[in-house]
Amino acid sequence: MEKLNPQQVAILYRHLDQNGTDDALIEELLDHLACEVEHFMWIGLSFETALEKVLLEANAKAVRHLREIYQIELTMTADQLREASLDDIVFEFRNKAYGAYDLRQEYRKSLRTALVLSLGLAMMLVALLSVFSGQKWSYMSVWGAIWTLGLVAVTYSGATWFQQRMQHKYRMAE
Amino acid sequence: MEPSGNEFLRGTLKTIVLKLLTEQGRMYGYEITQSVKERTQGEVVLTFGALYPVLHKLQQEGLLITESVEVDGRLRKYYTLTPRGNETALQKVSDFERFVEVMKHLLQPVPALSIGQ
Repeated sequence: MEKLNPQQVAILYRHLDQNGTDDALIEELLDHLACEVEHFMWIGLSFETALEKVLLEANAKAVRHLREIYQIELTMTADQLREASLDDIVFEFRNKAYGAYDLRQEYRKSLRTALVLSLGLAMMLVALLSVFSGQKWSYMSVWGAIWTLGLVAVTYSGATWFQQRMQHKYRMAE
Repeated sequence: MEPSGNEFLRGTLKTIVLKLLTEQGRMYGYEITQSVKERTQGEVVLTFGALYPVLHKLQQEGLLITESVEVDGRLRKYYTLTPRGNETALQKVSDFERFVEVMKHLLQPVPALSIGQ
């Protein structure tokens, strides 16, 4: 059986890409078309003729039609829609791996962590300033309490940030 | 097949795909189209435009699982039935067989003598 070389596969990929093939389908369609081309080459056609024959069938119209059918068939069911977040709906049929989806998913958490961190740092700074201004230091005073609270907040946000990073790393490795 | 054949095919595509997978175990898209073509002596030709939406839909419904394998430098996606997919396949095939039986009765000319029996 004839095998296509990477350059020949790349020609097919470009064709599919230029015709707006859905991200979720492109790898699979590429393999499909490559198999067809290989089949035609096996029965004796040259690569160019085989390619022409296959692309005639997989023309822009067919690919667009596929995309339309695909999106109608695979839209979320009513149940899924009820559970889906706005991000899920916006990113349906779009490339989630690119990064924007992750950023949006984590946005609330990141914002909260940042807020807690800055609040904690501010509290610690204020407590520190009060010590520098000559007041006697004691953990039992108001400033002592503010310092402790600030320290807790900074530790909490640090830990959350670290955990988020680890989760992200784990997801990427999947 | 005639264009009207396509109309009949659309409703049975899921059943065909599920049935093939019960027999062959693990298949990829092109293999399914070839298998259908061979077994029907070229009467039924599945286009990629019809096949892949069905495969992905079945996967979304949890009847199939996929596995990507690199073959000749490209990714090939293999489909396998889940246990639930297996049940659904059996169910759908028997439903379809019944349907075909009923249709046969419907298409047969009504024997004149049977009236009044």
